[in-house]
Amino acid sequence: MKPLTVNFRSKAAQTLADAQIQQSIEHVYTGFFKGRLAAAGETDNWEDLRTKGKAIKDHTIAHLDYYLDLLATNVEKNGGSVFFANDAEEARQHIIKLAHKREIKTVIKSKSMVSEEMGLAEAMTDEGFETVETDLGEYIIQLANETPYHLIAPAVHKSRADVAKLLDDNYKDGDRVPDATELTMMARKKLRGVFERADMSVTGVNFAVAESGSIALVTNEGNGRMSTTVPRVHVAVMGMEKIVPSIQDLSTMLRILIRSATGQRISTYVTMVNEARKQDEEEGPEEFHLVIMDNGRQKLLEDPQMRESLNCIRCGACLNACPVYRKVGGHAYGWVYPGPIGAIVSPVLTGVKDASNLPSASSLCGACHDACPVKINIPRMLLELRYRTAEGSTDKEERSSSATERRIWKTWRIGMMGRKRFDMAARLANLALRPFAQNGWLKKAPPPISGWTSSRDFPTVSPSSLKSRLKKRKKGEQ
Amino acid sequence: MADRAKFIASVTASLGRSEVLAPPVDNSTAGFEDAAMAKFNADAAMKDASVRSVELADQMAIAAATAGWKIHRAANPEDAADLVASICEQKKATSVLRSKHDVLDEINVDAAVANTGAKLGTTEHSGDNSRELVDQSKAEAFIADIGITGVDYAVAETGTVVLHPRSGLSRLVSLAPPTHIAVLKQGEVLDSLDELFAIERNDFLTGNLAGSMNLISGPSKTADIEGTTVTGIHGPLEVHLIILSEG
Amino acid sequence: MPDNTSNLPRPERVTLFASCMVDQLAPSVGESTVDVLEYLGVAVDFLDDQTCCGQPAFNSGFRSEAYPVAERFVELFEKVDGPIVVPSGSCAAMVRNYYGDLFRDNSSLADRAKRVGERLYELTEFISRFFGTEAINGQLNTSATYHKCCHLLREVGIDEEPLEILSNIDDLQMTPLERADVCCGFGGAFAVKMPDISTAILDEKLDYIEATKSETVIAADTGCVYQMQGGLRRRGSPVQVVHIAEILAESINNAGSAGVTR
Repeated sequence: MKPLTVNFRSKAAQTLADAQIQQSIEHVYTGFFKGRLAAAGETDNWEDLRTKGKAIKDHTIAHLDYYLDLLATNVEKNGGSVFFANDAEEARQHIIKLAHKREIKTVIKSKSMVSEEMGLAEAMTDEGFETVETDLGEYIIQLANETPYHLIAPAVHKSRADVAKLLDDNYKDGDRVPDATELTMMARKKLRGVFERADMSVTGVNFAVAESGSIALVTNEGNGRMSTTVPRVHVAVMGMEKIVPSIQDLSTMLRILIRSATGQRISTYVTMVNEARKQDEEEGPEEFHLVIMDNGRQKLLEDPQMRESLNCIRCGACLNACPVYRKVGGHAYGWVYPGPIGAIVSPVLTGVKDASNLPSASSLCGACHDACPVKINIPRMLLELRYRTAEGSTDKEERSSSATERRIWKTWRIGMMGRKRFDMAARLANLALRPFAQNGWLKKAPPPISGWTSSRDFPTVSPSSLKSRLKKRKKGEQ
Repeated sequence: MADRAKFIASVTASLGRSEVLAPPVDNSTAGFEDAAMAKFNADAAMKDASVRSVELADQMAIAAATAGWKIHRAANPEDAADLVASICEQKKATSVLRSKHDVLDEINVDAAVANTGAKLGTTEHSGDNSRELVDQSKAEAFIADIGITGVDYAVAETGTVVLHPRSGLSRLVSLAPPTHIAVLKQGEVLDSLDELFAIERNDFLTGNLAGSMNLISGPSKTADIEGTTVTGIHGPLEVHLIILSEG
Repeated sequence: MPDNTSNLPRPERVTLFASCMVDQLAPSVGESTVDVLEYLGVAVDFLDDQTCCGQPAFNSGFRSEAYPVAERFVELFEKVDGPIVVPSGSCAAMVRNYYGDLFRDNSSLADRAKRVGERLYELTEFISRFFGTEAINGQLNTSATYHKCCHLLREVGIDEEPLEILSNIDDLQMTPLERADVCCGFGGAFAVKMPDISTAILDEKLDYIEATKSETVIAADTGCVYQMQGGLRRRGSPVQVVHIAEILAESINNAGSAGVTR
């Protein structure tokens, strides 16, 4: 998927002005955010689970080479094939070649953010394969020719009327809007035939288990199960970081993933695939292929400040907690991963310069850190990326602060390095703002504060500092 | 062209090392627990399931109901068979598929279904899995009205039924038909996911891991349209759990 | 006589760190902080040379500018003993949680910063820890609601304590704020750099505030106070946003309390 992170400001503004989307995004808080709190509260050891989950991921990432090797060995031992893809292009080409070799006609996809990185559905359609997204949300946006709005709920921004228009060729504006059940049954009918005739599936991987060469898929709809059952060829695609060492680790990881993502105790279906099909099974795929993709993740891995971002288990809890995401929506982030996790990985995976707006689009409230089931310290990494963008990067291309900004902070520093100048600057500011201020407030302020006063009153500087007032007070007491 | 060795060497270099090293043992992951420990955990899980079977069956009933299963308690095999028959009649089922679980023989499900007039089949081809028979199996599942299975395990924490697809237990029997009936025998319920995965891990370490595993916790559902939960998107719209008490 | 719920020895003397915003924009918050501390029987020193903890530049990524200012802070405050009290959760967070990162290439300075941080407290944290949340017996007749400032909540770990402190003020009618722990949209430079997003977040906050029908909003960080007050004023709303220090000081004054006797 081509990064459009450079359009963040304009896309954000568009979304802020769209009342219908603003209403739709609310569900992310009332449903998912509140759901997580309830589901977490139900356990008597949520904090322990988070600590455990973090320990599992820290350990795995710190020894990622070992576990990748182990995973590949075991998948092959079970009769599967493993392909290591350096980037999205390689992964895509490998899957397309495989589909041609196996004379595939119909490909069903279940939800996978990694496949979005590859732009796989589009590429396969272009190659002449009937390629159908089977997760309802993904199906809807495929029909709309859009990209996912949220990690877990790709069509969260669509209204029922929007969906009716996409599913029913005969639907026109003004018709009675079908309810969600009617629309869902429409989709079920449409996709049923596709499942029956599909000869290849592409799924994601929620967790790959290194010790057994297994993959675990977390779904609710049944399309993930269909995908691991009906076609001859099953391809699973994963980011190289989605590994856990042991089968037993799954009980912790599934708990924290699912409760954090949707507030359920468990998703309707968890499917574990250890091998394609046993000798005497009546159905199931004939072949299992695992595509393990880098696509820039090594940049995160080799960066000690950013490595922690690879612990992410893609639950979406940080999106649901983020006051910025809940206003600007998923598309503003311009790439596969929106929200706080997107703000820290997109700049590195796609190239900081393009995505420098993302780490700045945060009030640093820390709700994401609080929400993360594996305790990823996102604010720390947002600050790190801000530092690199402002001045810290050794790559000149990455430093995108303006000369004006650098001057402002230099002046600020000079002003803060001595009490006399600090006082003087404040008194001067007070004098300068006096003609504009009423009762201590400004309706209009000069740059760089003008952004504030476009929508809020701004306080003026006090005529006297606390220092001078306390001095007077002491004098008065004597 | 990505080469496995090259890829992994590159990851090793990103980690600041020059060769792949086995991780030092710590308590972060269960992966360091040896076979003896795994067996111990699995045995404890099975023992607990047996000792607390009544309590766990009750907990399962509550959790499964929350997850969307329709719960039926059967005091004996005859009651269980009657429940199966009444669901078939209620759904006006004409074609029913069943798995090869012992409990289904114990309750004589074949007779119960036959009495409703519905056609009953099993997906089992005695090891012949030519493409033709695989496709035939698939087609049967897609037209069936009801799929009936036993359970391999259940998990009380989450209201989950666990099935290991194998010969006689197809994946589609619990997925394709719009109604799924699972018959659970008291004693098959584990306390939590910890116990389930302890058993799975032990199976793995003793070379007995099933080819795949499906955890089923309610009817198929989605909330992708306006956040409204709807059941029956791609899998069963209705799932029934018949809990058979021990005699 | 208030209970000492923490069993820690009560400090008799503290050093006040105003924070640059309180010092030059809202000095009355600083004066109120002194009033509250003196009511608790604590003498307050003010280091004349203080300026800023460096957070604004740090948050904007200009660590080279933040560094000398932060170093200056450490040099100044390590010269005094005893607790340092600041009426700001975000400044407390900067010193305690982020100086380590800022000084990561200078381990001795990082150590010195750590030691200063260990005795630095945000105001309500200081009150709760050393004097208990029932320490202030004041009186203030107004209807109010409390907003949980993000850094105080998530970085310093102070959640319900300010509400408990406020619950001991006679005639103060508190209404719980829905989504009290959701950000007001301030975020420092963010409020100016991305004003449309900041304001959208603020609008939601203000809608919930207005729904409480309170006359007053109480918060513990001046930046948040200004974000919310600035927005309410622009809406033509009469609702007043007041720093908790000022609420406490006014309530003490009304009650005519002589203060804590030792």
